[in-house]
Amino acid sequence: MSALVRVSAVADVSHQRARPLLGTLVEIAATGSDAAQVQRAIERAFDAVETVHTLMSYHTADSDVSRINREAFNAVVTVNAHTWRVLAAAQAFAEASDGLFDVTVAPTLTRLGFLPRHADFPRISGQGDWRHVMLLPDHQVRLARRLRIDLSGIAKGYAVDLAIQALRDAGMTSARVNAGGDLRLYGDSAQTVHVRHPLTATTIVPLVQLREGAAATSAGYYASRRHQGRRVMPIIHPHSRSACDVTRSVTVLAQDCMCADALTKVVHADPEKAGAVLARFNARAFIVENDPLIGGARVLDTAATGQPHWHARWGVAARHV
Amino acid sequence: MNDLNRWLLIPAIILPAAASAPAFAVQYLTVEQAQKVLFPAADQFESRPVTLSAEQRKAIETAAGVRVRSPEVNAWRARQGGKASGWFVLDEVYGKHEFITYAVAIGLDGAVKGVEILDYRETHGGEVQNPKWRAQFTGKKAGDTLKLDEDIKNISGATLSCKHITDGVKRILATYEAALK
Repeated sequence: MSALVRVSAVADVSHQRARPLLGTLVEIAATGSDAAQVQRAIERAFDAVETVHTLMSYHTADSDVSRINREAFNAVVTVNAHTWRVLAAAQAFAEASDGLFDVTVAPTLTRLGFLPRHADFPRISGQGDWRHVMLLPDHQVRLARRLRIDLSGIAKGYAVDLAIQALRDAGMTSARVNAGGDLRLYGDSAQTVHVRHPLTATTIVPLVQLREGAAATSAGYYASRRHQGRRVMPIIHPHSRSACDVTRSVTVLAQDCMCADALTKVVHADPEKAGAVLARFNARAFIVENDPLIGGARVLDTAATGQPHWHARWGVAARHV
Repeated sequence: MNDLNRWLLIPAIILPAAASAPAFAVQYLTVEQAQKVLFPAADQFESRPVTLSAEQRKAIETAAGVRVRSPEVNAWRARQGGKASGWFVLDEVYGKHEFITYAVAIGLDGAVKGVEILDYRETHGGEVQNPKWRAQFTGKKAGDTLKLDEDIKNISGATLSCKHITDGVKRILATYEAALK
Protein backbone atom coordinates (compact mmCIF):
# COMPACT_ATOMS: atom_id res chain seq x y z
CA MET A 1 0.00 0.00 0.00
CA SER A 2 2.75 2.41 -0.84
CA ALA A 3 1.41 5.95 -0.76
CA LEU A 4 -2.13 4.60 -0.62
CA VAL A 5 -2.15 4.23 -4.38
CA ARG A 6 -3.53 0.83 -5.22
CA VAL A 7 -3.97 -0.68 -8.63
CA SER A 8 -6.30 -3.67 -8.49
CA ALA A 9 -7.00 -6.37 -11.06
CA VAL A 10 -9.74 -4.32 -12.69
CA ALA A 11 -7.32 -1.40 -13.08
CA ASP A 12 -9.17 0.86 -10.67
CA VAL A 13 -6.98 3.51 -9.11
CA SER A 14 -7.41 4.78 -5.56
CA HIS A 15 -5.88 7.89 -4.11
CA GLN A 16 -6.12 9.42 -0.68
CA ARG A 17 -5.22 12.98 0.24
CA ALA A 18 -5.53 15.26 3.26
CA ARG A 19 -5.46 19.02 3.76
CA PRO A 20 -5.96 21.33 6.72
CA LEU A 21 -9.41 22.90 6.27
CA LEU A 22 -12.45 23.76 8.41
CA GLY A 23 -10.21 23.84 11.49
CA THR A 24 -9.36 20.16 11.14
CA LEU A 25 -7.75 17.72 8.76
CA VAL A 26 -9.99 16.93 5.82
CA GLU A 27 -9.28 13.55 4.26
CA ILE A 28 -10.59 12.64 0.80
CA ALA A 29 -10.24 9.20 -0.79
CA ALA A 30 -11.57 8.19 -4.19
CA THR A 31 -11.45 5.32 -6.66
CA GLY A 32 -11.80 5.77 -10.40
CA SER A 33 -10.54 4.46 -13.70
CA ASP A 34 -7.31 6.44 -14.11
CA ALA A 35 -4.93 8.32 -11.86
CA ALA A 36 -5.29 11.75 -13.45
CA GLN A 37 -9.09 11.55 -13.31
CA VAL A 38 -9.00 10.57 -9.62
CA GLN A 39 -6.61 13.41 -8.73
CA ARG A 40 -8.79 15.92 -10.59
CA ALA A 41 -11.88 14.66 -8.76
CA ILE A 42 -10.16 14.96 -5.37
CA GLU A 43 -9.06 18.49 -6.30
CA ARG A 44 -12.66 19.44 -7.09
CA ALA A 45 -13.87 17.90 -3.86
CA PHE A 46 -11.33 19.96 -1.87
CA ASP A 47 -12.54 23.05 -3.77
CA ALA A 48 -16.07 22.30 -2.57
CA VAL A 49 -14.89 22.08 1.05
CA GLU A 50 -12.99 25.34 0.66
CA THR A 51 -16.09 27.07 -0.68
CA VAL A 52 -17.99 26.16 2.47
CA HIS A 53 -15.02 27.14 4.63
CA THR A 54 -14.89 30.59 3.01
CA LEU A 55 -18.64 31.22 3.22
CA MET A 56 -19.41 29.92 6.69
CA SER A 57 -16.37 30.57 8.85
CA TYR A 58 -17.06 32.40 12.11
CA HIS A 59 -13.42 33.48 12.25
CA THR A 60 -12.97 35.40 9.00
CA ALA A 61 -14.40 38.90 8.66
CA ASP A 62 -15.80 38.58 5.13
CA SER A 63 -17.69 35.27 5.43
CA ASP A 64 -21.49 35.22 5.07
CA VAL A 65 -21.70 34.29 8.75
CA SER A 66 -19.65 37.32 9.83
CA ARG A 67 -21.70 39.61 7.60
CA ILE A 68 -24.88 38.30 9.22
CA ASN A 69 -23.42 38.77 12.71
CA ARG A 70 -22.26 42.29 11.93
CA GLU A 71 -25.11 43.68 9.85
CA ALA A 72 -28.25 41.54 9.76
CA PHE A 73 -29.94 43.14 12.78
CA ASN A 74 -29.90 46.54 11.07
CA ALA A 75 -30.42 45.54 7.45
CA VAL A 76 -31.11 42.49 5.30
CA VAL A 77 -27.99 40.59 4.27
CA THR A 78 -27.91 38.62 1.01
CA VAL A 79 -25.99 35.36 1.34
CA ASN A 80 -24.70 32.70 -1.05
CA ALA A 81 -27.07 29.87 -2.04
CA HIS A 82 -24.94 27.36 -0.08
CA THR A 83 -25.16 29.44 3.11
CA TRP A 84 -28.88 29.82 2.56
CA ARG A 85 -29.32 26.06 2.23
CA VAL A 86 -27.43 25.43 5.47
CA LEU A 87 -29.43 28.11 7.31
CA ALA A 88 -32.68 26.60 6.06
CA ALA A 89 -31.60 23.13 7.17
CA ALA A 90 -30.57 24.53 10.55
CA GLN A 91 -34.06 25.98 10.97
CA ALA A 92 -35.60 22.60 10.11
CA PHE A 93 -33.42 20.80 12.70
CA ALA A 94 -34.21 23.46 15.30
CA GLU A 95 -37.93 23.14 14.69
CA ALA A 96 -37.91 19.33 14.72
CA SER A 97 -35.88 19.20 17.94
CA ASP A 98 -37.79 21.94 19.76
CA GLY A 99 -34.68 24.08 19.78
CA LEU A 100 -32.19 21.42 20.92
CA PHE A 101 -30.29 22.35 17.79
CA ASP A 102 -29.75 26.09 17.70
CA VAL A 103 -27.25 28.13 15.68
CA THR A 104 -27.55 31.13 18.02
CA VAL A 105 -25.40 29.64 20.80
CA ALA A 106 -22.35 31.51 19.43
CA PRO A 107 -22.07 34.00 22.34
CA THR A 108 -21.79 31.10 24.81
CA LEU A 109 -19.04 29.53 22.69
CA THR A 110 -17.22 32.88 22.71
CA ARG A 111 -17.61 33.19 26.48
CA LEU A 112 -16.12 29.70 26.95
CA GLY A 113 -13.24 30.58 24.63
CA PHE A 114 -14.18 28.33 21.69
CA LEU A 115 -14.89 31.18 19.30
CA PRO A 116 -12.93 34.41 18.89
CA ARG A 117 -14.24 37.83 19.89
CA HIS A 118 -14.86 40.21 17.00
CA ALA A 119 -14.54 43.84 18.05
CA ASP A 120 -16.78 45.04 15.21
CA PHE A 121 -19.72 42.74 15.99
CA PRO A 122 -22.57 44.64 17.68
CA ARG A 123 -23.45 43.84 21.29
CA ILE A 124 -25.92 41.05 21.81
CA SER A 125 -29.14 41.48 23.75
CA GLY A 126 -28.93 38.06 25.42
CA GLN A 127 -32.45 37.35 24.26
CA GLY A 128 -33.91 35.42 21.38
CA ASP A 129 -32.98 32.16 19.70
CA TRP A 130 -33.18 30.38 16.33
CA ARG A 131 -36.74 31.65 15.86
CA HIS A 132 -35.35 35.14 15.44
CA VAL A 133 -33.17 34.26 12.45
CA MET A 134 -35.44 35.29 9.59
CA LEU A 135 -34.93 33.70 6.20
CA LEU A 136 -36.42 36.01 3.59
CA PRO A 137 -36.87 35.47 -0.16
CA ASP A 138 -33.92 35.78 -2.57
CA HIS A 139 -31.37 34.42 -0.08
CA GLN A 140 -31.81 37.35 2.28
CA VAL A 141 -31.31 37.05 6.03
CA ARG A 142 -32.42 39.34 8.85
CA LEU A 143 -31.97 39.00 12.60
CA ALA A 144 -35.03 39.98 14.61
CA ARG A 145 -33.01 40.16 17.85
CA ARG A 146 -29.43 41.15 18.55
CA LEU A 147 -28.04 37.64 18.06
CA ARG A 148 -24.91 35.98 16.86
CA ILE A 149 -24.94 32.81 14.83
CA ASP A 150 -22.34 30.09 14.35
CA LEU A 151 -22.79 27.38 11.72
CA SER A 152 -19.88 25.19 12.81
CA GLY A 153 -22.29 22.56 14.18
CA ILE A 154 -23.68 21.87 10.72
CA ALA A 155 -21.48 23.43 8.01
CA LYS A 156 -18.77 20.78 8.26
CA GLY A 157 -21.36 18.11 7.46
CA TYR A 158 -22.62 20.16 4.53
CA ALA A 159 -19.04 20.57 3.25
CA VAL A 160 -18.64 16.78 3.33
CA ASP A 161 -21.90 16.33 1.38
CA LEU A 162 -20.79 18.85 -1.23
CA ALA A 163 -17.42 17.14 -1.60
CA ILE A 164 -19.12 13.74 -2.01
CA GLN A 165 -21.37 15.24 -4.69
CA ALA A 166 -18.29 16.54 -6.53
CA LEU A 167 -16.71 13.07 -6.41
CA ARG A 168 -19.90 11.44 -7.73
CA ASP A 169 -20.17 14.03 -10.50
CA ALA A 170 -16.57 13.30 -11.46
CA GLY A 171 -17.49 9.64 -11.93
CA MET A 172 -15.69 8.11 -8.96
CA THR A 173 -16.85 4.54 -8.34
CA SER A 174 -16.27 4.84 -4.63
CA ALA A 175 -15.26 7.69 -2.37
CA ARG A 176 -14.92 8.80 1.21
CA VAL A 177 -14.66 12.24 2.80
CA ASN A 178 -13.75 12.66 6.46
CA ALA A 179 -13.64 16.13 7.95
CA GLY A 180 -12.34 15.44 11.43
CA GLY A 181 -15.15 13.17 12.51
CA ASP A 182 -17.80 14.09 9.94
CA LEU A 183 -17.60 11.24 7.50
CA ARG A 184 -19.51 10.16 4.41
CA LEU A 185 -18.79 7.43 1.93
CA TYR A 186 -20.19 5.41 -0.93
CA GLY A 187 -19.00 2.46 -2.98
CA ASP A 188 -19.19 -1.30 -3.36
CA SER A 189 -17.55 -2.39 -0.15
CA ALA A 190 -18.55 -1.83 3.43
CA GLN A 191 -16.03 -0.03 5.57
CA THR A 192 -15.66 -0.22 9.29
CA VAL A 193 -16.15 3.13 10.95
CA HIS A 194 -14.10 3.66 14.08
CA VAL A 195 -14.61 6.16 16.87
CA ARG A 196 -12.23 7.33 19.54
CA HIS A 197 -12.54 6.00 23.06
CA PRO A 198 -13.93 8.85 25.18
CA LEU A 199 -11.43 8.15 27.96
CA THR A 200 -8.30 7.51 25.91
CA ALA A 201 -8.67 9.27 22.60
CA THR A 202 -5.71 7.54 21.03
CA THR A 203 -7.54 4.22 21.28
CA ILE A 204 -9.93 3.65 18.43
CA VAL A 205 -13.01 1.48 18.62
CA PRO A 206 -14.66 -0.16 15.59
CA LEU A 207 -18.30 0.90 15.88
CA VAL A 208 -20.28 0.09 12.76
CA GLN A 209 -19.97 -0.97 9.15
CA LEU A 210 -21.12 1.39 6.49
CA ARG A 211 -21.31 1.00 2.73
CA GLU A 212 -23.13 4.17 1.92
CA GLY A 213 -24.16 7.08 4.10
CA ALA A 214 -22.77 9.35 6.75
CA ALA A 215 -21.44 9.06 10.28
CA ALA A 216 -20.72 12.11 12.41
CA THR A 217 -19.08 11.93 15.80
CA SER A 218 -18.75 14.66 18.34
CA ALA A 219 -17.00 14.36 21.65
CA GLY A 220 -14.89 16.45 23.92
CA TYR A 221 -11.58 14.58 23.98
CA TYR A 222 -9.68 16.89 21.67
CA ALA A 223 -12.08 19.81 21.50
CA SER A 224 -12.56 20.40 25.22
CA ARG A 225 -10.89 23.16 27.17
CA ARG A 226 -10.67 24.35 30.72
CA HIS A 227 -13.05 27.13 31.73
CA GLN A 228 -13.16 28.32 35.34
CA GLY A 229 -11.63 25.09 36.58
CA ARG A 230 -14.01 22.79 34.69
CA ARG A 231 -13.48 20.79 31.48
CA VAL A 232 -16.06 21.93 28.98
CA MET A 233 -16.65 21.04 25.37
CA PRO A 234 -17.90 23.18 22.52
CA ILE A 235 -21.41 21.73 22.52
CA ILE A 236 -23.91 23.98 24.20
CA HIS A 237 -27.33 23.03 25.49
CA PRO A 238 -29.43 25.71 23.79
CA HIS A 239 -31.96 25.94 26.62
CA SER A 240 -29.62 26.23 29.59
CA ARG A 241 -26.82 27.78 27.49
CA SER A 242 -24.27 25.66 29.32
CA ALA A 243 -21.75 23.18 27.93
CA CYS A 244 -22.73 19.49 27.61
CA ASP A 245 -21.13 16.55 29.42
CA VAL A 246 -17.58 15.95 28.30
CA THR A 247 -17.35 12.20 29.03
CA ARG A 248 -19.68 11.11 26.23
CA SER A 249 -19.01 10.52 22.58
CA VAL A 250 -21.98 10.66 20.24
CA THR A 251 -22.06 9.18 16.73
CA VAL A 252 -25.04 9.66 14.44
CA LEU A 253 -25.59 7.67 11.25
CA ALA A 254 -27.75 9.32 8.59
CA GLN A 255 -28.17 9.44 4.84
CA ASP A 256 -26.32 12.73 4.55
CA CYS A 257 -23.58 14.24 6.66
CA MET A 258 -25.22 17.59 7.37
CA CYS A 259 -28.08 15.75 9.06
CA ALA A 260 -25.69 13.47 10.98
CA ASP A 261 -23.58 16.45 12.07
CA ALA A 262 -26.56 18.49 13.32
CA LEU A 263 -28.18 15.57 15.13
CA THR A 264 -25.05 14.83 17.20
CA LYS A 265 -25.76 18.13 18.98
CA VAL A 266 -29.36 17.12 19.64
CA VAL A 267 -28.24 13.80 21.16
CA HIS A 268 -25.64 15.54 23.31
CA ALA A 269 -28.19 18.06 24.55
CA ASP A 270 -30.91 15.55 25.41
CA PRO A 271 -30.48 11.84 24.60
CA GLU A 272 -34.00 11.05 25.77
CA LYS A 273 -35.75 13.54 23.53
CA ALA A 274 -33.34 12.86 20.68
CA GLY A 275 -34.96 9.46 19.95
CA ALA A 276 -37.99 10.94 18.21
CA VAL A 277 -35.88 13.46 16.29
CA LEU A 278 -33.53 10.72 15.08
CA ALA A 279 -36.47 8.61 13.91
CA ARG A 280 -37.92 11.55 12.02
CA PHE A 281 -34.70 11.99 10.05
CA ASN A 282 -34.22 8.24 9.61
CA ALA A 283 -31.07 8.43 11.68
CA ARG A 284 -29.47 6.22 14.30
CA ALA A 285 -27.21 7.17 17.16
CA PHE A 286 -24.57 5.56 19.33
CA ILE A 287 -23.33 6.88 22.61
CA VAL A 288 -19.97 5.68 23.87
CA GLU A 289 -19.95 6.60 27.52
CA ASN A 290 -17.13 6.37 29.95
CA ASP A 291 -18.01 4.46 33.11
CA PRO A 292 -15.47 4.63 35.93
CA LEU A 293 -17.29 1.81 37.79
CA ILE A 294 -16.52 -0.76 35.11
CA GLY A 295 -13.21 0.78 34.18
CA GLY A 296 -14.12 1.19 30.55
CA ALA A 297 -16.79 2.48 28.26
CA ARG A 298 -20.26 1.27 27.41
CA VAL A 299 -21.96 1.61 24.06
CA LEU A 300 -25.61 2.60 23.72
CA ASP A 301 -27.55 2.44 20.51
CA THR A 302 -30.94 3.74 19.35
CA ALA A 303 -30.95 0.51 17.30
CA ALA A 304 -33.17 1.66 14.51
CA THR A 305 -33.59 -1.39 12.33
CA GLY A 306 -34.19 -1.95 8.66
CA GLN A 307 -32.21 1.07 7.54
CA PRO A 308 -30.76 0.69 4.08
CA HIS A 309 -26.98 0.34 3.82
CA TRP A 310 -26.50 -0.08 7.53
CA HIS A 311 -25.12 -3.27 8.83
CA ALA A 312 -24.50 -4.03 12.46
CA ARG A 313 -23.44 -7.46 13.59
CA TRP A 314 -24.12 -7.47 17.28
CA GLY A 315 -27.57 -8.95 16.88
CA VAL A 316 -30.02 -8.74 19.73
CA ALA A 317 -29.53 -5.94 22.16
CA ALA A 318 -30.99 -5.92 25.62
CA ARG A 319 -33.08 -3.16 27.09
CA HIS A 320 -31.14 -1.40 29.74
CA VAL A 321 -32.99 -0.62 32.96
CA MET B 1 -28.63 6.71 33.30
CA ASN B 2 -32.37 7.32 33.66
CA ASP B 3 -32.61 9.55 30.66
CA LEU B 4 -31.19 6.76 28.54
CA ASN B 5 -33.76 4.13 29.51
CA ARG B 6 -35.15 3.98 26.03
CA TRP B 7 -31.76 3.39 24.52
CA LEU B 8 -30.51 -0.09 23.91
CA LEU B 9 -27.35 -1.07 25.65
CA ILE B 10 -25.32 -3.22 23.37
CA PRO B 11 -24.71 -6.31 25.53
CA ALA B 12 -21.37 -7.55 26.78
CA ILE B 13 -19.52 -4.55 25.55
CA ILE B 14 -17.32 -3.12 28.13
CA LEU B 15 -14.53 -1.59 26.22
CA PRO B 16 -11.26 -1.66 28.07
CA ALA B 17 -9.47 1.65 28.20
CA ALA B 18 -6.11 0.18 27.28
CA ALA B 19 -5.08 -1.08 23.87
CA SER B 20 -1.78 -2.42 22.69
CA ALA B 21 -2.16 -2.62 18.94
CA PRO B 22 0.25 -0.67 16.76
CA ALA B 23 -0.36 3.05 16.62
CA PHE B 24 -2.41 4.48 13.82
CA ALA B 25 -0.57 5.81 10.78
CA VAL B 26 -1.47 6.79 7.24
CA GLN B 27 0.66 7.91 4.33
CA TYR B 28 -1.15 10.13 1.84
CA LEU B 29 1.61 11.18 -0.51
CA THR B 30 5.32 10.65 -1.06
CA VAL B 31 7.51 13.74 -1.46
CA GLU B 32 7.51 13.32 -5.26
CA GLN B 33 3.72 12.93 -5.38
CA ALA B 34 3.20 15.99 -3.19
CA GLN B 35 5.48 18.03 -5.46
CA LYS B 36 3.44 16.94 -8.48
CA VAL B 37 0.15 17.77 -6.74
CA LEU B 38 1.26 21.22 -5.55
CA PHE B 39 3.12 22.21 -8.74
CA PRO B 40 1.38 20.21 -11.50
CA ALA B 41 3.07 22.13 -14.31
CA ALA B 42 6.62 22.03 -12.89
CA ASP B 43 9.12 19.71 -14.57
CA GLN B 44 12.03 20.09 -12.19
CA PHE B 45 12.48 20.22 -8.41
CA GLU B 46 15.90 21.38 -7.35
CA SER B 47 16.78 20.49 -3.76
CA ARG B 48 17.87 23.65 -1.92
CA PRO B 49 18.23 22.79 1.77
CA VAL B 50 18.96 25.69 4.12
CA THR B 51 20.47 25.78 7.59
CA LEU B 52 19.14 28.80 9.44
CA SER B 53 21.54 31.08 11.28
CA ALA B 54 20.79 32.18 14.84
CA GLU B 55 19.64 35.60 13.59
CA GLN B 56 17.37 34.05 10.97
CA ARG B 57 15.79 31.77 13.59
CA LYS B 58 15.17 34.76 15.82
CA ALA B 59 13.70 36.80 12.97
CA ILE B 60 11.36 33.94 12.06
CA GLU B 61 10.24 33.46 15.66
CA THR B 62 9.53 37.18 16.00
CA ALA B 63 7.66 37.40 12.69
CA ALA B 64 5.62 34.20 13.08
CA GLY B 65 5.19 34.10 16.85
CA VAL B 66 6.03 30.39 16.68
CA ARG B 67 9.10 28.58 18.01
CA VAL B 68 11.63 27.30 15.48
CA ARG B 69 12.60 23.84 16.68
CA SER B 70 15.02 22.91 13.93
CA PRO B 71 17.42 25.09 11.93
CA GLU B 72 17.18 22.73 8.93
CA VAL B 73 14.78 23.76 6.17
CA ASN B 74 13.89 21.13 3.54
CA ALA B 75 13.22 23.29 0.53
CA TRP B 76 12.98 22.65 -3.20
CA ARG B 77 12.89 25.20 -6.00
CA ALA B 78 10.13 24.28 -8.47
CA ARG B 79 10.90 25.07 -12.09
CA GLN B 80 8.98 24.90 -15.32
CA GLY B 81 11.01 24.95 -18.52
CA GLY B 82 13.97 26.33 -16.59
CA LYS B 83 11.89 29.17 -15.11
CA ALA B 84 11.31 29.29 -11.34
CA SER B 85 7.66 28.73 -10.38
CA GLY B 86 7.90 28.70 -6.58
CA TRP B 87 9.13 26.92 -3.47
CA PHE B 88 8.18 23.53 -2.09
CA VAL B 89 8.93 23.24 1.63
CA LEU B 90 8.66 19.98 3.56
CA ASP B 91 8.02 20.26 7.28
CA GLU B 92 6.92 18.33 10.36
CA VAL B 93 4.78 19.24 13.33
CA TYR B 94 4.07 17.19 16.39
CA GLY B 95 1.69 17.42 19.30
CA LYS B 96 0.94 15.28 22.31
CA HIS B 97 -0.37 12.36 20.27
CA GLU B 98 0.35 12.99 16.64
CA PHE B 99 3.15 13.51 14.21
CA ILE B 100 2.36 15.15 10.87
CA THR B 101 4.57 15.56 7.81
CA TYR B 102 3.23 18.16 5.41
CA ALA B 103 4.34 20.32 2.50
CA VAL B 104 3.71 23.96 1.74
CA ALA B 105 3.84 25.40 -1.78
CA ILE B 106 4.82 29.06 -1.97
CA GLY B 107 4.27 30.90 -5.25
CA LEU B 108 6.49 33.53 -6.78
CA ASP B 109 4.37 36.22 -5.11
CA GLY B 110 5.31 34.80 -1.69
CA ALA B 111 1.75 33.58 -0.99
CA VAL B 112 0.75 30.04 0.01
CA LYS B 113 -0.39 28.12 -3.08
CA GLY B 114 -1.38 25.02 -1.20
CA VAL B 115 -0.81 22.72 1.77
CA GLU B 116 -0.81 18.93 1.54
CA ILE B 117 -0.43 16.31 4.26
CA LEU B 118 2.11 13.58 3.44
CA ASP B 119 2.03 11.50 6.63
CA TYR B 120 -0.20 11.39 9.66
CA ARG B 121 0.93 9.25 12.56
CA GLU B 122 -0.41 8.84 16.05
CA THR B 123 2.53 8.12 18.24
CA HIS B 124 0.82 5.80 20.67
CA GLY B 125 -2.53 4.13 21.18
CA GLY B 126 -4.23 1.84 18.69
CA GLU B 127 -7.34 -0.20 18.20
CA VAL B 128 -9.35 -1.59 21.08
CA GLN B 129 -8.50 -5.24 21.74
CA ASN B 130 -11.69 -6.67 23.25
CA PRO B 131 -11.92 -9.96 21.26
CA LYS B 132 -15.71 -10.30 21.53
CA TRP B 133 -16.18 -6.82 20.18
CA ARG B 134 -13.55 -7.23 17.50
CA ALA B 135 -15.15 -10.48 16.32
CA GLN B 136 -18.13 -8.54 15.05
CA PHE B 137 -15.95 -6.74 12.57
CA THR B 138 -13.69 -9.45 11.25
CA GLY B 139 -14.32 -12.33 8.91
CA LYS B 140 -17.04 -12.67 6.35
CA LYS B 141 -19.96 -15.00 6.82
CA ALA B 142 -21.57 -16.97 4.01
CA GLY B 143 -24.38 -15.05 2.39
CA ASP B 144 -22.91 -11.78 3.44
CA THR B 145 -23.12 -9.48 0.47
CA LEU B 146 -20.86 -6.88 1.99
CA LYS B 147 -17.22 -6.77 1.11
CA LEU B 148 -15.00 -5.41 3.79
CA ASP B 149 -12.18 -3.03 3.23
CA GLU B 150 -9.95 -3.58 6.22
CA ASP B 151 -7.08 -1.47 4.95
CA ILE B 152 -8.63 1.83 5.77
CA LYS B 153 -9.36 3.17 9.21
CA ASN B 154 -12.32 5.48 9.06
CA ILE B 155 -12.07 7.37 12.27
CA SER B 156 -15.31 9.18 12.81
CA GLY B 157 -14.01 10.68 16.02
CA ALA B 158 -12.58 14.15 15.67
CA THR B 159 -8.98 14.34 14.64
CA LEU B 160 -6.83 16.93 16.29
CA SER B 161 -7.40 20.46 15.23
CA CYS B 162 -5.11 21.71 12.52
CA LYS B 163 -3.69 24.41 14.80
CA HIS B 164 -0.19 22.88 14.71
CA ILE B 165 -0.23 22.98 10.93
CA THR B 166 -1.56 26.54 10.86
CA ASP B 167 1.33 27.55 13.13
CA GLY B 168 3.72 25.58 10.94
CA VAL B 169 2.56 27.35 7.79
CA LYS B 170 3.06 30.73 9.52
CA ARG B 171 6.59 29.66 10.44
CA ILE B 172 7.34 28.55 6.88
CA LEU B 173 6.08 31.82 5.41
CA ALA B 174 8.39 33.68 7.80
CA THR B 175 11.19 31.29 6.85
CA TYR B 176 10.59 32.14 3.19
CA GLU B 177 10.90 35.84 3.98
CA ALA B 178 14.05 35.35 6.06
CA ALA B 179 15.95 32.72 4.11
CA LEU B 180 14.45 31.74 0.74
CA LYS B 181 13.26 34.93 -0.88
